[in-house]
Amino acid sequence: MPLKTADRASAAPLHIVKGRGSSLSALNAAVGVVLAITLIPFIYIAFRAFEKPLPEILDLLLRAKTLQVLATTTALLLIVVAVNIFIGTLMAAGLHFIRLPKAHLFILPTILPLAIPSYVFTYTWLALIPSLSGLFAAAFILILTTMPYMLLAILVSLRRIDSSLIEVARTLGLSRFKIFIRVILPQIRSSISAGALLSGLYVLSDFGAVSLLNVETLTVSIQNMFKASYDRSAASVISILLILASVVFIAFNERLKDSDNKENISKRLMAKNIRINNPGLKTSLLFSVALYTTLAVVLPIYVLISRFIGNPNPIDFAQLFETAVSTISVAALGAFIALLMSAPLGLLLSTRAGKYSRLAERIILVGHALPGVIIGLGLVSLGSKLGPLYQSTLLLAFAYALLFLAKAVASMTSALQLVPSTLKEVAATLGKSKSKVTTSVVFPIALPSIGLGTLLVFLTAMKELPATLMLRPTGMDTLATQIWSYASINRFNDAAPYALLLVLIAAIPTFLLSAPRNPSEKVEISQ
Amino acid sequence: MHLQIKKQGRAGLIAIVTALVAGLAATTLTSCSSSSDQASEVTELTIYSGRSEEFIAPFFAQWEAESGIKLNIRYGDSAELAAQILEEGSNSPADLFLSQDAGSLGAVAMAELFTSLPEGVASDIPAEYIDSDRRWVGITGRARVFAYNPNSLKVLPTSITDLTQSVYKGKLGIAPTNASFQAFVTALIENKGETFAQKWLEDLKANDVKIYPKNGAIVEAIDKNEISIGLVNHYYTWEISEALGRPINAKNGFFAPGDLGNLINVSGAGVLASSKKYAASQDLINFLTSTSTQAEFVTKTHEYSLISSAAAPEDLPQLLEIGAPSIDLDVLKNIKATQDLLVKVGLL
Repeated sequence: MPLKTADRASAAPLHIVKGRGSSLSALNAAVGVVLAITLIPFIYIAFRAFEKPLPEILDLLLRAKTLQVLATTTALLLIVVAVNIFIGTLMAAGLHFIRLPKAHLFILPTILPLAIPSYVFTYTWLALIPSLSGLFAAAFILILTTMPYMLLAILVSLRRIDSSLIEVARTLGLSRFKIFIRVILPQIRSSISAGALLSGLYVLSDFGAVSLLNVETLTVSIQNMFKASYDRSAASVISILLILASVVFIAFNERLKDSDNKENISKRLMAKNIRINNPGLKTSLLFSVALYTTLAVVLPIYVLISRFIGNPNPIDFAQLFETAVSTISVAALGAFIALLMSAPLGLLLSTRAGKYSRLAERIILVGHALPGVIIGLGLVSLGSKLGPLYQSTLLLAFAYALLFLAKAVASMTSALQLVPSTLKEVAATLGKSKSKVTTSVVFPIALPSIGLGTLLVFLTAMKELPATLMLRPTGMDTLATQIWSYASINRFNDAAPYALLLVLIAAIPTFLLSAPRNPSEKVEISQ
Repeated sequence: MHLQIKKQGRAGLIAIVTALVAGLAATTLTSCSSSSDQASEVTELTIYSGRSEEFIAPFFAQWEAESGIKLNIRYGDSAELAAQILEEGSNSPADLFLSQDAGSLGAVAMAELFTSLPEGVASDIPAEYIDSDRRWVGITGRARVFAYNPNSLKVLPTSITDLTQSVYKGKLGIAPTNASFQAFVTALIENKGETFAQKWLEDLKANDVKIYPKNGAIVEAIDKNEISIGLVNHYYTWEISEALGRPINAKNGFFAPGDLGNLINVSGAGVLASSKKYAASQDLINFLTSTSTQAEFVTKTHEYSLISSAAAPEDLPQLLEIGAPSIDLDVLKNIKATQDLLVKVGLL
């Protein structure tokens, strides 16, 4: 692929080549700055881990307990990712291809679980089934929590697949199953892998669900190290293991991806949508959507509402409002910083991906697997030397950007890849200036997808807890810290309004995420 | 193409180095300018509080009103706040650290980040609840008890060793991940040795002990009669009843005097050595340990006052009548061996 890009560059019109050197090195420099920032947690971990003598580090890494935790983490990761790939692909394909009135209204509830933090999720499920515990319970909860990442990724790419190929396959008499396996699946492979990546990294970094369900993953181990002995070095050693685990997972995941066919993009934009109208399939789709929605949305919200109603204490609406405002503003600022930070790398990756930019992308992905408490401590270590900047809204927003940068980079890259390079070249040959090309060609096509990435960062930042507790300005509350504050003293009733409000606010971007964007022509196939 | 990648790499490297150097420069600059003078009048204090806002905030508000000094309070988990203070080191913005348990205070003390408190501070608190070097003082007492459902549990245990008998099979709940349960097991190991502790835990497990994520969940389960007895801290029966807004079917019971099941742990506070506001911080500690505030802790948060003459929380025996085992609170900070043991027997 890089080779092809280079070829195209050499064939490009003259005045694009002019000035490319300077803008390219500016881009590289910008990526370098972003990369230096994302390396902060890694530097922190290395610094802390190697405070211990090497034999002790090896001891810690190779003891039976660590290996057992690693095995648990791997098992959990594989179960969640495998189930997510299987069910997520089927459900997304169903939602896309099966004809339903107001289809996006069926998509919305399947994306809505994104709005519920995993710890709230687990609390509500524990309220329903107090004996819930163990690996399979954790897998169950995490599948419910991460399925939307899968669905979002696949749905977005299904909207862009080349349906002319499907029509060809149909005229050749291929069965529906074979069309799905041979024609559709290859086209959505890389988005399946992207969804698997996000849900897998979520599993690696999650603390809320697994700790409440008594499953010791690497992230729980890291947290326990603090509580057991306040041993930050040991926690960092285990973090190295977590980094290695995510490197392996990312590498493994890339094999899923296959060489993507970007060249079809221009056709995809004009592709017609195909809809199936089979009653049997429709029933099973409706049944699975209903089942998933019940488990992942209706039941948790039912528990929250019944706690809310059962609350004997008066609700402090002024505080609720103030908390909501500060949550939204700092999460929005974080999303904006993530957007700015992801732009140079996204541009580089989408136009001329090289070894350097790919490495940067992978480092950012690995950082996504790190638990919030480690990134939080890394920033505490650095930030506490920065005087007034420490524990400021800006630093907290910056922490959010750092924590969720991978999400922004992923959507930035895929958004910019959407823009066919031929289109840019045509615009350039027509005498448009570089900035004009960007504003009149690149932005209109890429903007919706970039917006979605930003919304995703905003959504996850609103739910973030461990780094927020360490880095928020002293005295500031977010909805997540309030939920934590009440839940830690068993006041689930008092936590309920905050949790409900969080779900409600998060539902708005979720709605935007699930809304249809290309209201293109639809072709119906009735059976 | 090869050349192009090389060029990309070099520009990136330069940028990384530049950013790191800039960061370092900024760091040095700010750390040089951060010394401030002691003489100026104190108008604000920064507190890191591992104690929950709901229970402690009214006390802080009262002191603010009395002293005219504004408090900036950062609430968090005791252990995580301790880790944060260790990370901040001498740059910590905190003046005072208030913790749920002695373990987190011990960790900060060990890193020599607390200043020693003069003799006059917390003068009513007995020496056994104060760090031997006076780096932190206990503020409230928290007793380990068994909570039980009086409708379903007819035979009360007199020792933790009774709990492994068949009468309690499948009826006992514990929370192995909870810090105060682990503090109790630490005391058990210290006092009776690891072999004894391991045997006891294994027997509990063989007796079908039920595992809960937290103390509160145990008391809720007792109220619902899912289990009839559980090992918790004394104030959870009150906390759950308060949270549910009704009386619950759970009462506290103590073991025979001297039994390790009656361990007393403390919440406490220390003043950061890096603070420039020793006098005001010590004044706040004096307020929290004064007879009148201590009496309020007893009625409002249902904790024990550490002052010997103080009244006990409603329906509970006096602190000195509990028959608490004699354990040096300093040993409770090392719960690593405890966690390893809990893992070994399969409870963690």
